[in-house]
This record gives sequence, C-alpha cells and structure tokens, in this order.
Amino acid sequence: MGELKQTDHALSENDQARLDALYERLSTEREGFIGYPCTARFDYSPLYRFLEFSMNNVGDPFVESNYHLNTHDFEREVLAQFMDFTAAPTNQSWGYVTNGGTEGNMYGLFLARETLPEGIVYYSEDTHYSVNKILRCLHVRNIMIKSRPDGTMDLDDLRATLRIHRDVPPILFANIGTTMKGAIDDLAGMHEILSDLAIGRYYIHADAALHGMILPWVDRPQPWNFAAGIDSIAISGHKFIGAPFPCGIALAKKKNVERIGRSIDYIGSLDTTLSGSRSGLATLFLWYALRSVGREGFRERVATCLEMADYAIDRLEVVGRNPWRHENSPIVVFDRPPASITTRWQIATHDQIGHVITMPHVTKAHIDRLVADLAALELVEAHAS
Amino acid sequence: MSTRTAWKQISVVGEASPRFITNLIEVLADSQINIETLDSDTVGGTGVALLTVDRYQDAIKALTLAGFPAVGEDALLVRVEDHPGALAELARRFDEAGIPLLSVRIVRRGEGWGVVALSTPRTEEAVALVENCLIGTS
Repeated sequence: MGELKQTDHALSENDQARLDALYERLSTEREGFIGYPCTARFDYSPLYRFLEFSMNNVGDPFVESNYHLNTHDFEREVLAQFMDFTAAPTNQSWGYVTNGGTEGNMYGLFLARETLPEGIVYYSEDTHYSVNKILRCLHVRNIMIKSRPDGTMDLDDLRATLRIHRDVPPILFANIGTTMKGAIDDLAGMHEILSDLAIGRYYIHADAALHGMILPWVDRPQPWNFAAGIDSIAISGHKFIGAPFPCGIALAKKKNVERIGRSIDYIGSLDTTLSGSRSGLATLFLWYALRSVGREGFRERVATCLEMADYAIDRLEVVGRNPWRHENSPIVVFDRPPASITTRWQIATHDQIGHVITMPHVTKAHIDRLVADLAALELVEAHAS
Repeated sequence: MSTRTAWKQISVVGEASPRFITNLIEVLADSQINIETLDSDTVGGTGVALLTVDRYQDAIKALTLAGFPAVGEDALLVRVEDHPGALAELARRFDEAGIPLLSVRIVRRGEGWGVVALSTPRTEEAVALVENCLIGTS
C-alpha cells in the first residue's frame, strides 16, 4: 500500500464547478470591498509551499513543545516586532499569535479577571459587539459607559460610575479605534480619573484591532500603547496587514500571564494561551508581511490610506453626505446611504451612519464610483419626487 | 411578572415612530412567526415593544437580522434617566440589596432617557427591586 495522497481523490465535475463559481464570486465581491477594515490585496504566493505541512503552534511560543511541526521561532520574532511597535516593557512582556481580535480581547479580559477576580469591567457603548459575548463567557460583572457622539468613551460618565464603585477594582476596556467611527478612547483621561479617585488597583485592556497597525506609523499618535499605561492589547493581523484568514496578536505584561500558566504533559509545554491548537501558518504569513513590507513600507501605506480618507471626505462632501473622520483613522463616517448602496459596496451601517474604510487596496477609482452611485441615486430620488 | 418565565418574552427597542411596530410585525410575518401578545411603551425618543411569539428563537433571529435589537427573556429592561453615573447608581442598588448583577448594558438612549438591559441570575427579586423603572410591567 503506497502513501496516501489527497490527489488520489478527485472532485466531481459538479463540485469542481462550485469551486470555480466561488472563486468568481469572491473575485467580483473584492472589487466592491470598501466598507470593512480588511486589506483585500496581498501576495503570499512565496509561502504556498508551506501549505503541505500540518503546522500547529500549540502551547506557549516561548516554551519548546513536543509538537515539532511548528513556527514558534518565527512567532517569537513576530511578537518581538509587535512588542516594539507597542512600547511593551522589555523582558517583562509576553504574547502569542491569536485566531483574531476577539481572542485577543478575550485573553486580555481573562487576564484582567484572574488579576482582579472581584473587578467590574467598564466598556463604552461603541465597543465591538463581540465584547458582550466575551463578558458573558467569562462571567465577569460589567457596566456599559456612555459614548460621546464622536464614539469615544464619555469620561464624565466613567468618572461618576467609578466614584460610586470605588471599592471595586475597575477593569477598563479601552477602544483604540472603534469599529464604526474609529474613535480612540482617552487613556490619559482615564488615568487622570483613576488618580483623582485614588484607585490604585486597576487593569486596562486595549482593543487596537485595526489602529494598532496604524498608530505606530503616524507622526502624532494618540496615547494608545504600553507607554500610555495599558496592561494588555489585542491587534488584528488580517486587518491592516492583510491575510487570507483571520489572525491577530495578544500582548500582555508577563507578571499577569505567569498567574495563569500551568504545565501540561501532553504537549510538553505551558498552557498559557486560550486556544489549544494554533495556526503555525498565520505566524508565518505575519512574519513574511512584516519582513517584506518593513517599517518604511507600513509608514508609506498608512500615509497613503489617510490621504485616501481625506480624498473620500472631499468627494463625499460634494454629494452632501456630511463625511468626517478621526485623526489617524482611515474610517470615514458619513450619512447612512440606502440599502442599494450598502449592499453593493459592503458598507457597514449603524443607526444613521455608514462608513468607508480606506484600506491599502482602496483607490480613488473606488471612491469615485461610490460617489457616482450616490449622485445617481440622488438624481433618481429628485426625479421621483 | 409571571409572564417572564412562562411565555418567554422578547423586548425590541427602536426609534419611537409610527412605523416601528408596523415594521416589527412585518418582519415576524415574513418569517411566518405568530405573535401571541404585543405591548409597547415609549421611553424618551425610544420605542419599546414587548412580545411573546410561538417560535422564540426564530423570532430573535429574524428580528436581529432585520436590524431590530432584540433582548431575550434573560434580561430585564429598565428606563433610566440619562446622566453621568446613572447606571452605576442602578448597580449600587443591586449591591445594597445583595442581588448579584452580572451586566448593565445601554440598549438605546435619547431625549434624556436610556433603555438599559440588566442581567442577573435572581430575576424575580430583581424585578421587585426595579419595579418603579421596569419597562413593560403593569
């Protein structure tokens, strides 16, 4: 009996046709992909040969594992780069490559709960919907804080809330770029409140899914990272960097991680990560992107994206859509367009707003076509009335 | 109060407008879900519909997909004046009463009032505690 190969089992014609149709559909949909924070174009073809391995980064990336088909050494390099980007304290930080932003946020809140078991989580109205789910899974007490109209956490509400609960250590969930408006919560303001109320025990987790790979490359970033007093952070890999599958990074202070680590014999490693099996391929793709694009490459990409965001504002202004954006954010918010536009351009909406996100693949041609669609719609509506 | 446990109530929150209830009914009708009871309330500029249906899970799914924030029976909806620290004051009431409160979530705000969802494992006692601001009980 010879070696079993996947090619020994061919697809039926019908199944092959389905795959071809899927490829066509995805290729078409990518052309109108301007409403979600994911880079739609990248080239990882030099890594395709690694698809033949059953890679698995199970366990702690800093501890040798019995599962040798891994990319732990590359993972440590990726983490070292992100620790540098986020000003994580040297030799006092730890992290791992996650399955995406939600896992990174869950990890941060898990550490927070283990560090402050009696703590209450405070998060703003504009926080990503998945955080509610995480809080429910972790069974941690939580209170939502109001948001300001621009999407940032209302610090007056936070102050008043913390004042009432001064006896319970707060776990602050800070948005470093909200999903809909790209708003960055005021970390300095949060620290000021904690100081004013003489709250000494607290934990701050930062959700920097998209903006965590933007703020390292701008001249005047808002306070957002470990230098601004956070305890952990989650950054997505498939968003600004771009990848064909969801992935991300979780970073935290080592002293908090050591609290939860325990040894497991089965893989001969430390059980410090939320996921058991973890993608070795995701690590490799992130490493490749970081090494090939490089710091200057990302700086240029970010500058281009922000210029494109300004272009989008100029053009959307012309058709009366009241566009605006936060500093250092490629999320351009404007008046909610009708369903025909949101479907065609895959524009996320909430209440009375929609947004386009000028990710690296978004060009002036995309914006011009969107604006033309909006203008045409206006003409039709005017004609109808 | 007994309706919460017996009939699996769903609360739906949206902008208070004449179309709010109509749209809601249309969404459920399109999914062939029968409404057994329907009550409505207004909090500031927010409309709140309280309903029981024959297919609870399907209704939650259909309403959510149609863009209506639907809150299941495991949460209590209360009206709260919109001022800094309002939710913390509410949470403090639970602390003082010794009733564990797991989450306090703003569902919608407008015109000086907020609709807030509370989650607690001791629903019956919680209902009594917030009776003065509970939405949908008479």
